[in-house]
Amino acid sequence: MAIAGTADDLYAAGEIARPRRYRTLRALLRKKIAMIAIFYLVIFYSAGIFAPLVAPYDPNDQELTVEARRQPPSSEHIFGTDGLGRDLFSRVLYAARTTILFTLVVILTGGLILGLGLGLLAGYRGGWVDTAIMRIGEVLGGLPTLILMLAITASFRTRINGLSFWLEDHTWLGDDAKTLVKFTIIVGASVPFAWIGSSRIVRGQTLSIRESSFVLAAEAMGASTWRIVTRHILPGVMPLFVVGLSASMAGIAGAEVALSYLGLGIDPPGASFGNLISDAGFVRTFEQYPHLLLASSMPVVFFFFSWNLLGDALVDLFEPRTHTQG
Amino acid sequence: MSNKMLTLMMGFVAFLILAVGVVFVFALASGGDDDAASDTENGGQEKKPSNAAAGKICEGNILYVPGGEPNSLLDPIQVGDVETSEYVVEIFGGLVTLDTDLKVQPDIAKSWEVTNGGKTYTFKLRDNVVFHQGGRRVTANDVKYSIERAADPANASPTVKAYLGNIAGLKERFDNKAATISGLKVIDEQTIQIDLIEPSDYFIFELTYPVSFVVDKDQIEKNPRNWTKQPNGTGPFKLAEFTPAEKIRLVRNDRYHLGPAKLDEVVFELGGGSLLTRYENDELHVGAFPASLLDAVKGGSNPLSKDYRAVPNMATFYFNLNPTKAPFDDPKVRQAFAMSIDRENINNVLFYNALRVADGFLPPEMPGYTESVTSYKYDPAKAKQLLQESKYAGRLPRVVLSYSGSGGTPGDLLVAIQKGWEDNLGVTVELQAIDSSAFLREQRQGKFQMLSDGWSADYPDPENFLGKLFASDSPLNYSKYNNAEVDKLLQAARRETDRTKRYDLYRQAEQKIVDDASIIPTYWPVDHQVIKPCVKDYPSVSMTIPKYRYISIDPKAK
Amino acid sequence: MAPGLLGYTIRRLLWAIPVLFVISVIVFYMLRLAPGDPVDAILAKNYQEEQAQILRKKYGYDQPVHIQYIKYMNNLARGDLGISTRHRDFTASEVILPKIWVSTQIGFMALIITFALGIPVGVYAAMARGTFLDPLTISSWLALDAIPAFVMVPLVQWLFALKLGIVGLGYQGVWSSHMILPVLILSLPGVAGVARLMRASVISVLNEDYIRTARAKGLKEQTVVITHITRNALLPMITVIGLSLPGITAGALFVEQLFGIPGIGQESLAAVLAPDFDVILALVLFGSFLFVMANVVIDIVYSVVDPRIRLGAARGS
Repeated sequence: MAIAGTADDLYAAGEIARPRRYRTLRALLRKKIAMIAIFYLVIFYSAGIFAPLVAPYDPNDQELTVEARRQPPSSEHIFGTDGLGRDLFSRVLYAARTTILFTLVVILTGGLILGLGLGLLAGYRGGWVDTAIMRIGEVLGGLPTLILMLAITASFRTRINGLSFWLEDHTWLGDDAKTLVKFTIIVGASVPFAWIGSSRIVRGQTLSIRESSFVLAAEAMGASTWRIVTRHILPGVMPLFVVGLSASMAGIAGAEVALSYLGLGIDPPGASFGNLISDAGFVRTFEQYPHLLLASSMPVVFFFFSWNLLGDALVDLFEPRTHTQG
Repeated sequence: MSNKMLTLMMGFVAFLILAVGVVFVFALASGGDDDAASDTENGGQEKKPSNAAAGKICEGNILYVPGGEPNSLLDPIQVGDVETSEYVVEIFGGLVTLDTDLKVQPDIAKSWEVTNGGKTYTFKLRDNVVFHQGGRRVTANDVKYSIERAADPANASPTVKAYLGNIAGLKERFDNKAATISGLKVIDEQTIQIDLIEPSDYFIFELTYPVSFVVDKDQIEKNPRNWTKQPNGTGPFKLAEFTPAEKIRLVRNDRYHLGPAKLDEVVFELGGGSLLTRYENDELHVGAFPASLLDAVKGGSNPLSKDYRAVPNMATFYFNLNPTKAPFDDPKVRQAFAMSIDRENINNVLFYNALRVADGFLPPEMPGYTESVTSYKYDPAKAKQLLQESKYAGRLPRVVLSYSGSGGTPGDLLVAIQKGWEDNLGVTVELQAIDSSAFLREQRQGKFQMLSDGWSADYPDPENFLGKLFASDSPLNYSKYNNAEVDKLLQAARRETDRTKRYDLYRQAEQKIVDDASIIPTYWPVDHQVIKPCVKDYPSVSMTIPKYRYISIDPKAK
Repeated sequence: MAPGLLGYTIRRLLWAIPVLFVISVIVFYMLRLAPGDPVDAILAKNYQEEQAQILRKKYGYDQPVHIQYIKYMNNLARGDLGISTRHRDFTASEVILPKIWVSTQIGFMALIITFALGIPVGVYAAMARGTFLDPLTISSWLALDAIPAFVMVPLVQWLFALKLGIVGLGYQGVWSSHMILPVLILSLPGVAGVARLMRASVISVLNEDYIRTARAKGLKEQTVVITHITRNALLPMITVIGLSLPGITAGALFVEQLFGIPGIGQESLAAVLAPDFDVILALVLFGSFLFVMANVVIDIVYSVVDPRIRLGAARGS
């Protein structure tokens, strides 16, 4: 599983001309595979966002009896139950919620603020700023990401717990403080590596737009930098930026799943696909209770797959060289 | 154009084959949903031919077993963990050793006598004990050197003070106030006398622990930094190969004084992987059996039933509630927590009854164990009442349970117990996973409120559990447990030389410790093993002892 | 071209130095400032302050972190990677070098398989462009990319080792049949990426004039494909090698763990959890250096074989 690879394919795409906005959307709608992917993602996102409403049971409600543990799927528990007699479907819904929240936070911080911000800065300012940002990104992108993320989370875990308790007691955050802070650490470990792909795309796009006649004209007319960036450059950059993000979504979400699988992400009893899979993911457990692994991994595998497909479809539309001729 | 179509069609056929393969995998996988049990049986039947064909590991005289990565050096004075002990007890030897019934037997010593009211131990050594390399004979001076080396502060042995601290003059040596240990006297080449500070009946058991094992002075002085790579001991096996995270290979010591081992070699596979599968594929002689398969194996429906056996493990899992931290400074709160853990049910549901519910702190294999000690039974109503009566009724502070979370498995056990507390007491306990070194530090500094912990036997005497862990003056007591009455009992037990009386004192202390509920024992573990039928005389023993010399491989046995 | 190339190489390498330096400082401080150090782990339950002080002194942990760092860098400059505290008889290089060798061989095999499958699949998809077979082919390989290694491993272990009993699972050296599953699990997810780029590359070559000329001359489609396209479209694939590396190392962590292969993936996980300061640092620096170097070398090779490509333009990380 690639943690941060897919977005880089788009680097080459960063230098190409941009299609008009609505044409892209219409072209996308014509692609059947992309439609299937979007359809699945809509289901996944609504299931996760509305998990408290949709879930048939409390995800932490245990039923500690021999009959209730590790039940195969039935009409009562459509995904079966886990070793503690918890409803697996409800847990999967809440795990989807974890994934959604996590990717959202990473995209807002790493993708939007760092990726877009640094990309614009590099492309617009140029010179040594550009060189520095791009070279740092290059080296960061070439690091053994997962090992570093492991080291980061392992080092800061204990400290972060104290902080979460403090926040819970001293701020209005209350119970959410814990979730928030635990997120912060995984997010904090992921973000340093999440901005690289998108900032490259943004920079490439910015460079080409910056040289275009209407920007040069606006500059000559004394328009402020802010105005040029927001009015002229951003609209041109955004489509490709979104394409880049969608192509790297699977990698971003995968980081949390991998860390939780290793016991360094979301603490139990919180639900994350990583935790669910690590509970079920030994060959003997799978042999006896295949539903545990299948039910807890397939939703997230399809989630990765859908983003991969969508990303692929979008890249295809933005790459004139490979544009399908039919 | 037709060519292009042809290429496309051929490619599509190739793709179809691939796709069918993928579908096949998933079809088989979901097929398991319907009838997992019959699948297991089929799996077993299908494997039989390969078993018969590959029965190669039973033909040689080499035993392949799974092993743990040593956490420490292969140096007796540095060992503190179960994994390293496993190898050190095979490579080295001390004055005395344990047999498979956990009775003390002479090793380098031929005999010993206890005089001076239990304060003086005099050992007569054998004259045929030699080191692996060079074949030098072991004398009383080697014993003295080894113990003094352990006490040398420069060597920083983590265990010497706790396990040999009763030897007169050892603490002075350890604190660098003396150059030698006054209590160690070489009478002649074959006789060594050890004087103790206070009489001790269990001292002889402490000598079975690696820290006093005999090492080769010549080798260490010649190569002080790297000698542990070819450790020169007197044990039944010699180290032949050690590749970190891969394997440890021990070969037989033909000159072993208690009779050479029957095996040529023992190979410990350190890599892990799925042990049971490797066992079934004839790559290992011994495998670990998952709890979830226990029903099938006990009912005899699993093909491995005949290979299966349960080996009790002399260890205890427990919760440690810090009596110096709110809310556990109130004994009623502690008792309420103890009474709202449904250990029987959790064992049944979560562990398929693979563990034993701990009625006391000492495991049943421990000499001196008695059934008369009882721990708090599951009683949610009483627990609730106790919590109400406590001074924290209705205003319980936040409770954090720390556990060493450096594996990939977030413990279902803790989640189940946490839920029990929530349902029965209305308390939401936070589970906090911390990595093992930070966990140990937190424990030592006494910052914790509640810990999930465990202890396994170093030697078969109650002192190793109760005295080492809960006496307030023990260097290993990090539990924050401190009870003057218990201290008195433990001290009396320590000095008592009559074994029956001593065990009785420990029984009293143990009951008080459990009653205080600062320590809540939960389970005694059991190892569930499968062993190939061709492996003969594999000792069923509940702690780490030198055991591989008893084992033989009979290629004819099926 | 040559002076530009040399300058470029030097610039790239010079940029790597400060970044590697910053990473080493960050990782070094992060490890030292975390609660719990190797001495806690070594002494464990038997921890006594006296021994701990002796050990901390021996390993130098008693000194201020910046002094420790300077010493570490000093030793590093002399090729000394420090000592392992998890494998206490061994130096860090003794621990990691054999593991690097194991992982390199496995990773190399995986890389070869990824390309051996990805290139034909990509050519096929390009030939099939415009039909439903093109997206179908790429999509089905993307599906494999979506399955994390730790989900894939139990599935294939169950099928091939338990159900069919055709492969063993224990580690018996790199060149044994037991490595088939791990290598396949490492290589299959990358196929989609390679195939996608190969497809793009072939399509762009197909639109070039000389291909149209060849076709117009009445050459057989297969001849055109084999001679021209393969040669001209394969070149850009060199750059993708660097792109495949992170995926393979990340996957190796889980695959090595679950198959019991003594490689750097398994070691890095254990080292982080131990913690084993010098080994973690050595692995991070080694990994970073390898990736940086690989990308620089690939860039240079690429620009030598195809001077039209602007340096630094078409590359992944």
